[in-house]
Amino acid sequence: MAETRAKTEKSSSFIDTLARNPLYVGLAIGILAALVQVLLISAGGPEAYGFCVACHTRDVVNGGVNAVAGTKLAMAAISQNAILPVLTVVGVLIGAFASAKYYTEFKIKTGGGVSYLWYLLGGLLFMIFALFMGGCPYRIGLRIGYGDVVALIGLVAIVIGVLVGIKIATAMAEREE
Amino acid sequence: MVAAGWLSKNIAIIAVPIVTLLFGILIGWLGQRSGFCSVGGFRDFFLFRHTRLLYGYLALIGGAFIGYLAFWLITPSAFENFSWVIGKGLMPVPGAPANLTVAAYIVLAIIGGIAFGLIGVLIGGCPLRQVVMTSEGNIKSLCFVIGMCVGAVVYTMWISGWGVALLKAVGIA
Repeated sequence: MAETRAKTEKSSSFIDTLARNPLYVGLAIGILAALVQVLLISAGGPEAYGFCVACHTRDVVNGGVNAVAGTKLAMAAISQNAILPVLTVVGVLIGAFASAKYYTEFKIKTGGGVSYLWYLLGGLLFMIFALFMGGCPYRIGLRIGYGDVVALIGLVAIVIGVLVGIKIATAMAEREE
Repeated sequence: MVAAGWLSKNIAIIAVPIVTLLFGILIGWLGQRSGFCSVGGFRDFFLFRHTRLLYGYLALIGGAFIGYLAFWLITPSAFENFSWVIGKGLMPVPGAPANLTVAAYIVLAIIGGIAFGLIGVLIGGCPLRQVVMTSEGNIKSLCFVIGMCVGAVVYTMWISGWGVALLKAVGIA
């Protein structure tokens, strides 16, 4: 009895070691995104649409608004044709919550009132610019894997943005000192 | 030609929410365990030369290529335009704004990408990380996700139309 328990603990910790390494996580997400496409592409395009935080959120939100308000906000063809839009982001919320609860890492963290406003604004702007680019970094990654050159240009632009952001952040930190 | 995957259209339209929900749950679990983050990967590399998260993001690109290649070999009809650049050249895979020129898409990718990286660093993480942190109980991230939802509607209702009109006015769309 004790032996089997030790065994399951060991095997589960082996899987957890893999799950905690971003290298394997990235590999898994990339390959599974291709699997999702081969399963679901008959429902509609676009291609290389297996996972995207920006586009899939847009599909869920616009689908919800369309259902409630009777509007015709744009969605990807796959979400338009299917009985419900792509629910990946809802899944991420559920999966991460389950994992955080399971490993007792769930903890309410609050910030100041002004920081909420900044995050709200950040999310809003982020979504707009991501949709300009045609996807968040994850779909950009999938598109690069699919052979899209503009996505590669987008990734280079993200890297430039990160470098500028680091400069601004360090300058702000130095001013505070 | 209509793209055909493993599931027929009648079944696929029912399977879409189920398959994507399960895929999302898996990503959420793995994302919570690993702290997976794309913008964070580049940030950690430039600031501290940490490669842990960066390799994760690069592995995503590599994994996507391996996956697309493998499944394309099995079922070519599900990946009509793979490899994209060979068939379509510089025209990007369809995203949000439709029917623009290649130059316009490149300009949008550059503007969007730079702004995106900037916001990502200042706010401390890419959108997936924010969604995961929301599930870990971070109220600031919850505000970010609400902002994203508002941004989706704002973009669809106004910005996409204005943006395309502006690009057409300066003559690159």
